[in-house]
Formats: sequence, structure tokens, C-alpha cells
Amino acid sequence: MISQPFDFHAPRHVDEALLLLDEAGERARVLAGGMTLIPLMNLGLVQPEVVVSLNHIDELDYIVERNGELRIGAQTRHATVQSDAAIARAAGHLAAAAAHIGDVQVRNRGTLGGSLAHADPAANYLPVLLASDATVVLQSKSNQRVVAIRDFVVDLLRTSLTSGELVVEVRIPSLRAGAGAAYAQMARVEGSFPMVTASAVASRETRKARVAIGGVTARPVLVECGLEPAGDASHIAQAEVREPLVDMHGDAAYRRSLAGVFAERVLTAAVNRAGDVRTSR
Amino acid sequence: MSVALRLTVNGREHEVQIDERMRLVDLLRDVLRLTGTHLGCGTGNCGGCTVLLSGRTVKSCCILAIDANRERVTTIEAMSTPGGQLHPIQEAFVSNQGLQCGFCTPGMVLSAAQLLESNPHPTTDEIRTAIAGNLCRCTGYQLIVESIRQAASALARRETPDHDGPTL
Repeated sequence: MISQPFDFHAPRHVDEALLLLDEAGERARVLAGGMTLIPLMNLGLVQPEVVVSLNHIDELDYIVERNGELRIGAQTRHATVQSDAAIARAAGHLAAAAAHIGDVQVRNRGTLGGSLAHADPAANYLPVLLASDATVVLQSKSNQRVVAIRDFVVDLLRTSLTSGELVVEVRIPSLRAGAGAAYAQMARVEGSFPMVTASAVASRETRKARVAIGGVTARPVLVECGLEPAGDASHIAQAEVREPLVDMHGDAAYRRSLAGVFAERVLTAAVNRAGDVRTSR
Repeated sequence: MSVALRLTVNGREHEVQIDERMRLVDLLRDVLRLTGTHLGCGTGNCGGCTVLLSGRTVKSCCILAIDANRERVTTIEAMSTPGGQLHPIQEAFVSNQGLQCGFCTPGMVLSAAQLLESNPHPTTDEIRTAIAGNLCRCTGYQLIVESIRQAASALARRETPDHDGPTL
């Protein structure tokens, strides 16, 4: 049993949720999948007065491809992102990132929108969305705005979400013909928080690549570079890691080195896959 | 504060008034007295509280009971028959000594059940991935993997099921 009482709401529609969030303001916490929020409430580390669950809002659970981009509803579960055919075809690196989140039970319940709103630096999706120059749709009672992922994450566990706003959708450009993408990460044990997450999108057409590294800094790092030599991505990534996160698992030099190794690794994989979009991962 | 909850557990409908602070695991154990679901860490790590929520495994310590309103829950109690006949997955755990203290076993069995339902012939790696969210502190993973492998064979051998397992 959780120690602190709270008012619980389970709206069936987004509009209803937004009204509740507008009314409760800072007193409310959004319960998406709950894979972070409920453990924190169990431990008494987060004690919201109002909990608004999104688990009964079916209209936030969808995947559509339109105008060359995938639009994914915020309540889409990681297990769905991992296994959906349209995502596998148009953004295989997103599916690969989802497949590495937590464990089966966590992927069955946790959601794309919940992960983004929490903005853990080790969140698997962040480098994928940054490499793909994705956007998130934020909705409040009176306003909707579309924010680039690079502007959405502002610091450690901090986003540009304001009081009363909800992540409702993620938009990720579909990989074009001649483009390849990759995701890679390293965690000490399967299911634990990765020490580094990395993703790259490379285009043979433009001869350019975007490489993003997460888990080593408060916000993910972006490297824009050519397709070769892949070592360039490594050098730039290491230079961009100005203030590495330091903990018992790795000091600054080690984290910076990881960024370089993984930048090179995902860029090489993305370039190898470019040209065969159907099987890109 | 008391809230009204309606849900189906192991095929049986329940309507109860509960404290909104109650987690699904608390409801199952303390209200419905289904104590086969175990509470371990309370932080979503150990998997002892694994149940099926609308057919998918979840950790019931990380779900508010009230958030399971109108949902369908399946617990380890539904795996065996009312007469006590074990499910073939449970039989495989017994015959391979896939358990020592047994605390993690209900979660392991349900994770195995979900795996075998979608993938009747898993590789060893697929079995290991399927139980990555279930910790065994007796370090019996090798025998657990072996149990699941044998359960897969046993289930594949059965031409016509003579045991009505739960609808996952």
C-alpha cells in the first residue's frame, strides 16, 4: 500500500484529462505506464495530491504513417513499439530501442509518452528521436505545440512541459530510400539502466549522418557528420561530451570514451544498412 | 478514501470498495486472498508479483488496483485446475527442480506461459529474455530455463489438450 493518499482520476478522453490537469496544476502527476511513478510513490519519494491515469484513454494508443512520418500516440506501450510492423519498416531503430527497455513486464505496461516526459538521461528513445530529428506534440486545455526533441529535453529529468501540458504524440520521419539507421546501448545487466545509448541515421543520398548519444550527459548529444570515416563521429562525440554524468559505474573519462566508441559503432551500422531501407534496424 | 472497483480475476467478477492507495498486488493478496502472487521489492525489479493484465504479464506492485478497473486479471491460481492438477509448465518446474525456495516461481511460470503462448518453440536466448524480469535469489536460472524448455516440448507433444489452462 502507498502511504500518502491522493485523488485518483481515470479519464476516458484526452480533453477530460487536460481539464483535470489544468485544474490540479502542480499538484497533479500524470500516470502513463507508471513504471517509474508507482515505484517512486511506493518508496514515498513522490507524493502527488492528484493522480491522472492515461491508461483508459484509447485515443492515445495508435500508430499511423502519414506524409513521410510516423505518428505514434503517447500511450503506445513499449511492447507495441518493439513489435509493430509499420515501425519496423519506417523506423527500425526505434523498435530496437524499445526492445531493450527494462524487461517484458515493463515493456508490456510502460509507454512512449511516459518515458519521454520523465526524460531520464538513460532513456532508450532519446538518442533515436534526436538522430531522427523527431518532434513531440504537447497539448494543454487551450493550446497545442509541436516541439523538436532537442528542445524538449532541457536538463536532467527536465523537459519543456509546462503545468497542465501532456505529451500526446511523437512524430518521427520515416527512413527514406537510401537511408539507414541503427541503435546500440550498453548496460551492465540486461534490463538495468544503460550507461550509454546511441543511435544514428545515415543517408547515402545526402552523404550526411546524424548520430546521437544518450546516457553519458544530462541531455543527449548530437553529432552531425559525414558518412566516413566513422572515426570522425567518435572524435566529435567525445568533444561534445563536456560534462559527463559520473557515478559508481564510470568516471568522466570512461563515459566520454563510451560516447566515442558507440558513436562510431552506430554510424558504421547505419551506413551499412543505408540503401536497403526495408531491412534497416 | 474509498473507491469502487470492478474487475475480473481468474474468470470471476469482483466488485469491491478499496482504498485508492492499494496496488494490484495488495488487492490480490489482502482482499481477494490470492496469495500465490508474491510481493518482493515493490519497485518493479524482482517480478515476484507478476500477473497477467488483459493477457499480458505485468508487475502488480507497479499498478494501482483502481487502474485495473474493468480489466481482466489472471494469477498463478488459474494455472492449475480447481482439483489441483498442475499445468504442464508447473509440472516441468517440479520434474526439473526449477525451484528451490519457490518465492519467484509463480512469476516465472506466468512469464513462461506468456512466452510459450506467442512462441511455442523458443530458443534458449528467447527463454532468458522472457524471464529477464523475474529474479531468482536461489540462483536457479539454469534449471528454470531447462524447465521452460521441457514445458515447451511437453506442450508441443500434446495433440489435444487434456488440461484446460487459463485463457491468457
